[in-house]
Amino acid sequence: MTVARAKINYHALVKPDRVHSQLYTDPAIFQDEVDRIFHRGWVYVGHRGEVPHAGDFRQKRIGMQPVIMVRDGAGQVHLLLNRCRHRGAMVCNEERGNARAFRCAYHGWTYKLDGTLAGVPYPDGYDESFRREEFGLARVPRMAEYRGFIFGSLSPAGITLDEHLGRAREQLDLFVGLSDADEVVADCGVHKYDYRANWKLQVENAMDGYHAITLHDSFLGILAERARQHHAADDYKGQFEGSRFAVTRDLGGGHVMLDYWNRLYDALNNDPIPDVEPTTVAGRAHFDELVRRFGQVRAAHNLMQGMTHTLIFPNLILIGIQMRVVHPVRVDRSEVDVYPVRLNWLSEAVNATRLRGHEAFFGPAGFGGPDDVEVFERVQMGLRADLLAPWLMLARGMHRERRDSDGTLIGERTDEVTQRGIWRQWMKVMTGDAPARRPRARAHKPAALRHAEPVGPDLR
Amino acid sequence: MAVERGKVEQFIYHEARLMDENRYDEWLALWSDDALYWVPCGRDDIDPKREVSLIYDDHTRLETRITRLKSGVAHAQDPKSRMRRVISNIEIEEGANGEVTAFANFMLAELRRGVQDIFAGRTIYRLRPDQGGFKLAYKKVLLVNNDEYIDNLTFLI
Amino acid sequence: MNGRAKIDYDTLVKPDRINSRVYTDPQVFDEELDRIFHRGWVYVGHRGEVPNAGDFRQKRIGMQPVIMVRDGAGQVHLLLNRCRHRGAMVCNEERGNARAFRCAYHGWTYKLDGTLAGVPYPDGYDESFRREEFGLARVPRMAEYRGFIFGSLSPAGITLEEHLGRTARELDMFAGLSEADEIEVTAGVHKYNFKANWKLAVENSMDGYHPNVTHESFVNAIMERIKNHPSPEHKAAFDPSSFSGGGYGIAKDLRDGHVMLDYGFRIYDPLNNDPLPSVRAINASGEAHLAELGRRTGPERAADMLREGGTHTLIFPNLILIGLHMRVVQPLSVDYTEVCLYPTTLKWLAPEVNAIRLRSHEAFFGSASLGGPDDSEIFERIQTAAAADLEPWNIISRGMGRERPDEEGYLYSDMTHEITQRAIWRQWKKIMTQEAGAAATRKRTSRASGARG
Repeated sequence: MTVARAKINYHALVKPDRVHSQLYTDPAIFQDEVDRIFHRGWVYVGHRGEVPHAGDFRQKRIGMQPVIMVRDGAGQVHLLLNRCRHRGAMVCNEERGNARAFRCAYHGWTYKLDGTLAGVPYPDGYDESFRREEFGLARVPRMAEYRGFIFGSLSPAGITLDEHLGRAREQLDLFVGLSDADEVVADCGVHKYDYRANWKLQVENAMDGYHAITLHDSFLGILAERARQHHAADDYKGQFEGSRFAVTRDLGGGHVMLDYWNRLYDALNNDPIPDVEPTTVAGRAHFDELVRRFGQVRAAHNLMQGMTHTLIFPNLILIGIQMRVVHPVRVDRSEVDVYPVRLNWLSEAVNATRLRGHEAFFGPAGFGGPDDVEVFERVQMGLRADLLAPWLMLARGMHRERRDSDGTLIGERTDEVTQRGIWRQWMKVMTGDAPARRPRARAHKPAALRHAEPVGPDLR
Repeated sequence: MAVERGKVEQFIYHEARLMDENRYDEWLALWSDDALYWVPCGRDDIDPKREVSLIYDDHTRLETRITRLKSGVAHAQDPKSRMRRVISNIEIEEGANGEVTAFANFMLAELRRGVQDIFAGRTIYRLRPDQGGFKLAYKKVLLVNNDEYIDNLTFLI
Repeated sequence: MNGRAKIDYDTLVKPDRINSRVYTDPQVFDEELDRIFHRGWVYVGHRGEVPNAGDFRQKRIGMQPVIMVRDGAGQVHLLLNRCRHRGAMVCNEERGNARAFRCAYHGWTYKLDGTLAGVPYPDGYDESFRREEFGLARVPRMAEYRGFIFGSLSPAGITLEEHLGRTARELDMFAGLSEADEIEVTAGVHKYNFKANWKLAVENSMDGYHPNVTHESFVNAIMERIKNHPSPEHKAAFDPSSFSGGGYGIAKDLRDGHVMLDYGFRIYDPLNNDPLPSVRAINASGEAHLAELGRRTGPERAADMLREGGTHTLIFPNLILIGLHMRVVQPLSVDYTEVCLYPTTLKWLAPEVNAIRLRSHEAFFGSASLGGPDDSEIFERIQTAAAADLEPWNIISRGMGRERPDEEGYLYSDMTHEITQRAIWRQWKKIMTQEAGAAATRKRTSRASGARG
């Protein structure tokens, strides 16, 4: 039963250069976002590399819907709603693991890895109108994959994944160093954190080039200090100032990126930095192509530290070597999973260096990420002051936006091109014609019961 | 004469148990006449003459505190808190005349009306030899949360 | 705004009873925030909490986070604690001293008076970006009386003087006639919370009916001390019969929701060790205050007031003056409230007198004290029981019809009568039923620089 709500006028809240704090604090808007963005469009679920073996599964979410991502015996990955078709209990109760089937702990209904209902205890309680084929775990209506990145949509209709990804597809290519799906090892552990603030703050912040010099001053200070001690000076602090080396870029469709090359983590590691030497034939081909595009130094360096810094709207962030997935939980509560990734054609030493670099900045005990999280909570608290000056300003760099040769909109590294790109897509989804919802009515009529049932109110 | 570490520890554990079990009279009897029982508020190092404390009890105030707790109509302890605390990290310094200063950390689980709270902190004790045992002359409790909102601190801490 | 049914407060608040829904309904809570806290005069803090240039404290007006800060010229500002760029809190410590407020996110920096001093890499903004438009938002109205700082989020309305009315005199007595900068609020803060509605604490603080029962353990403790330490001083000090009706004390309606209790006896002396310090001033200003107080109340009563407190008054809606402390009640949700107690000392009193003020305060107030926590326990029992709403009425009829006017026309009654609760609820209902037009005009102080379509 949906509660009738006054329709929210988003045009009054989202302007080209500013947005209203209500967008971060209103539970009604949050509900609307979950519905329109997460429960209809394409949402990133997980990478095939997280379930490398038959029977591997992981609990996932699409918006607020609990989903099982599982690989069956034939190597196919399924996205199944994590809810028993009988009386509604979660059938998969561990966050990750390996199973041969899912058995509900309540009444023992058992499902195969592809979601079909294998059996129920004491089936004589059901007559011939009960057909098992109708009671498999509900499947996410659309699922599509690109280089092992698995996306799902709870709406059976709408644009294809390819259309959704658009220009951002190239960034997925780069993130995995041009690897094929099964060369990506996404099974390296997860950094998890939560924070008491709105999910959009993490998304906006991840694509913010203005804050690093201020917010991450402590981290940059460490790098500068180490660099002084151990390396010929790259000017680490200078890497983030103004417009050297870098632009902010709007790829369209809500996908945005920071386009830069910084040698960030070298200074934190002990010498010598391992050489990047592919260990497989396929890897050698990938590496050669990367060298052709970027040159030897940059190709090697980026394989160590990360090749892109991109948001795949709405919830997948690729930074360094990590896939970061943002989960909305409540209007002022969010959870984030961060998956660092190894490539199976890099040496053990290089893969280890990837992880050590990642740990320096990211994760609840990192030297950088937690300062972002602190700021999200400061923003959520600050937004309570919403009576007199309720706007958040996103005007930075508006006077110097321009088109790059590839047609994408760019600005200086510290400009808010990226935030404006996110909000343009947000508006499009929240105010446009959304793809049709999966009809609420049951997909089948309940089996007619042959024996007497008590007369009572219609509870549908 | 070297102080026996075991005796000091036993005293501290005994005091903790009396507090856990709400044995007010026995706990009061541990104190010397010049007792000071001090739980600072806001910071650990305040000047009690100039800043307020959560507890700053001389013996007179201690007696009053116990009188109230025994009255049966101290509503903030009706029902009484259920408690168990762990004392650890005990360090001992010997002073003059057999006096001992002891330092210890504690963690306390306090349950009341279905809500279990954790309190933690560091306690500084001054023990004075008395008839083969000790009297408690001074106890300062540095609560980790002494600058936070505390709904009820009327049990013995 | 979001389609909730309109609440008819006439059905919830009667002259002699109130419906417990006022303590449990989140919609009532939201409307209280809007009409009481986000429009009228609300107590924020005392100038004595920020004695030096750069001193600041985090405060709230309703749910709006506010910075109270003293600038280099000695002026105190009330600024909304929110960066004008992307909204982060710029002041992140509860109290401290600063030369400026720098937002940790992108480094926007504000002076102590709230003006925007600078932003990193200003080249990101063109000439349409004017720093003057992006200072920290200011609380529209701020006014002060004897250093008590009040703010209003509405730019229009009655003056603070009109709001305070008769209570200004009680502020005087609380302060011992001190000037604003003779009042020290640097003796720490007692903080406590309880899982119940904020109005329970407000009503209780001005309730003369409950002490003998709720605080029976405290009263008994005092009587026992008096018994065991006989001294004519102590015996004369405390008369518990005042709390059972018929004694000296009275409860008084100071109008507009402000109320007070007037009982004029000493409470805490028996809990302290003899000898009591005599009350003396250490400078000429203090001597003058002491003399004037003595003229008004008699020297013995004046000394008592300076040791234990000069008034017992509620300044609607959120400032309570009892004994030596300012008490600020902060509603956070319909069933969760935080309270701060600020014990005060006076610059012109001898140090031993200031010390005894703190010892007296600790006896009754604070989370570990012998008095206050029993009130909190009661609030939580009320909040839990409010769910039993088959019979939803709480009765505030005690002493109705027996009020009489004092020589200035303010109504008063016996201290155990509920004249104070009825006065609070009358004002509450008046505000909750006012026209929506009285709302703060939502000033758009920020027109975006160079807004582009």
